[in-house]
Amino acid sequence: MLKTQGLGYWYQDKDQPLFQDINLEFEVGQSCAILGHSGTGKTTFLSLIAGLDKPKEGDILLDDRSLKKIGLTNYRRHDVSIVFQAYNLFTYMSPLNNLLTAMAITGAEHAGDKDFALKTLNDLGISADLATRNVQHLSGGQQQRVAIARTMACDAQLVVADEPTGNLDEDNTKEVIEQFQRIAHDRQKCVIIVTHEPDVADQCDHQYRLENKQFTKLA
Amino acid sequence: MNFFKRAWLNVWAKKGRSVLLILVSSAILMFVLAGLLIRSAAVKATDQAKADVGATVTLSANRQAAFKKMQSSSSSSSKSSRPKMTLTPVKLSDATKIAKLSNISSYNVTSSTSVNAKSYDTVSTSSGLSGGNSGGPGGMKSSTSTGDTQIDGVTSTSLATDFSSKQSKITKGRGITTADKNTNHVVIEKDLASQNNLTVGDTITVKEATGSKDKVKLKIVGIYKASSTSSSSAGPMSTDPANTMYTSYTLANTFKGSKYAGTADSVTFNVSNPAKVSSVKTAGKKLINTSKYALSTDDSSYQTVKASMSNVKSFANKIVWLVAIAGTIILALIVILMIRERRFEIGVLLSLGEARWKIVAQFFTEMLMVIVVAVAIAGAGGKFVGNQLGSQLVSQSATTTQTTSTTGQPGGSGTPGGSGMKGGNGGPGNMGQSTNTKAAKTELDVSVSAVNLAELGGFGLAITFLSIMIASGGILRLEPKKVLIS
Ligand SMILES: Nc1ncnc2c1ncn2[C@@H]1O[C@H](COP(=O)(O)OP(=O)(O)OP(=O)(O)O)[C@@H](O)[C@H]1O
Ligand SMILES: [Mg+2]
Repeated sequence: MLKTQGLGYWYQDKDQPLFQDINLEFEVGQSCAILGHSGTGKTTFLSLIAGLDKPKEGDILLDDRSLKKIGLTNYRRHDVSIVFQAYNLFTYMSPLNNLLTAMAITGAEHAGDKDFALKTLNDLGISADLATRNVQHLSGGQQQRVAIARTMACDAQLVVADEPTGNLDEDNTKEVIEQFQRIAHDRQKCVIIVTHEPDVADQCDHQYRLENKQFTKLA
Repeated sequence: MNFFKRAWLNVWAKKGRSVLLILVSSAILMFVLAGLLIRSAAVKATDQAKADVGATVTLSANRQAAFKKMQSSSSSSSKSSRPKMTLTPVKLSDATKIAKLSNISSYNVTSSTSVNAKSYDTVSTSSGLSGGNSGGPGGMKSSTSTGDTQIDGVTSTSLATDFSSKQSKITKGRGITTADKNTNHVVIEKDLASQNNLTVGDTITVKEATGSKDKVKLKIVGIYKASSTSSSSAGPMSTDPANTMYTSYTLANTFKGSKYAGTADSVTFNVSNPAKVSSVKTAGKKLINTSKYALSTDDSSYQTVKASMSNVKSFANKIVWLVAIAGTIILALIVILMIRERRFEIGVLLSLGEARWKIVAQFFTEMLMVIVVAVAIAGAGGKFVGNQLGSQLVSQSATTTQTTSTTGQPGGSGTPGGSGMKGGNGGPGNMGQSTNTKAAKTELDVSVSAVNLAELGGFGLAITFLSIMIASGGILRLEPKKVLIS
């Protein structure tokens, strides 16, 4: 479903790229973990496949169509959903409005459906009472579950997450990873998670390690 | 229209910030409104001055030419007898020609003389100059008359200056109208009527002061009340104002003598559009013999008010634009700071694939909500600021007018016979004086109208739009990756 072709990226110096000539393929219905030491370029790689930045070299294809052709804004709106370590919710809104806003912007099938949004939140353990409070009054774990609910409420086929469990305790981490597995397997989406934690990576269907400018498949 | 909902959620969630923005915007808009109010008040005052002063063109004898003629004849004649200034009465045929010019709404023929009381007693003034001669030596009247009753012949009393300026009022019966032409109808003063037990419908008898000295019966059709200060066109030596009667100008001409038929002392034309006065004057001059007659205008007080109001107006304009520009800059800076503070939120929106213009639209909507409330607040407060500023400005402009009018006035009426209307030697100083009081009295009526509010709304909208446009560069350039991945 998502393919990288000879992908390469560098910040300042072309002679010292973070990674080079990357050819990977990600499929729907599967989850994939990306591991690697700090500063190797995992987040940078994710930002490319999330359509937040353009590759310096090579191309990214979604169902054999180049992201350049699709257009990054269009791609972000319809094809990809991003979960960040810092949750990235609208701080001046309730969880419910966060979901409704994202659904409206992305033109999701259930856009405007309040009950659907509440149900999605409820499935992730955010009660109706919590759903109508300001998000800033929720705990970190709760906020990350809202961010995952937002991903679920939107129709994007590709879900990318950058250290989604980085700020969470063990119980919340387990819970969140289970949700990602469900998104991949039950909802038939393509999930790519960047993580530092081997326990988290072990839960995923595939694992890659970014090392020496290359991705190596672990399992 | 999701951005609209987001804007509302944001404004509502961040009430403190919204209130501060409303206060800043209100302050800016209040000054804009004050400027707008002063400007429209100045326009109103100028229009009012136009309406009050009206604009008239007067056809009268060419006093200056006559004076010159008198001087040359006095120098040539060795006799010690006092030279006589002869003024040619205005021909009514000339007047009808001028009246046909465009922009002339109406005209009033004035012909004054005096007669002697026969069947009644004149009102005597306390100064003891009772029933004596009126119209001092070298008075304004073209005919030398010596009667004790002043006869003011007019086309219609409503067009006569004393009545149109509301100094005199009809209290009983009616005034003289065009229908009274060639009749012996008369309007007398209230004091004279009560002293002689006269009322509407009564007949009085007068004796001509010149010519045939015939006795003439006059029928009273109306009684008027003259204000104490109102003195008819006669000079300071005149009799009590109560002894002035109004008749049709035809009757006054009859009293003067047969050679005065079809003439007048002066004819005053009312010009419907004050701006057209000078063009009417130019056109009228082509129709008359300018060596004998003069066409003069009296819009000096209008000009003075106009000048002082245009000062106020240009100052108000400057306030409006200065405040609007400064306000735009201030708001733009605030919005720029706000956008910087909300980079993260913008990044999230961009990561969701929101179009940049919709993010700009969200900020614009938020500011618009603030501005709508600010317009309402400024509308309530602007009147106060406008009143304060307005009275300040008027007193200031009145002083500037004073200096300009005393120096500028004589030049203004430099055309021959220009100031002839109110009797030759009125003097520039005098004129300056009277116009000053008028200008100083011009009060600015500062009130908030729907038009003002609409204008204010327009300015608010423009300021909001411009400041968002200036600040939106930050949104348009923002890269979501830089914000979201730090
Ligand atoms: N905007 C930037 N400009 C220049 N260099 C950058 C920029 N962003 C990141 N880098 C550098 O690129 C390298 C890779 O950064 P990246 O954030 O992708 O690493 P990462 O693998 O996600 O690390 P971590 O595990 O700590 O999150 C780092 O050395 C970083 O300093
Ligand atoms: Mg990272």
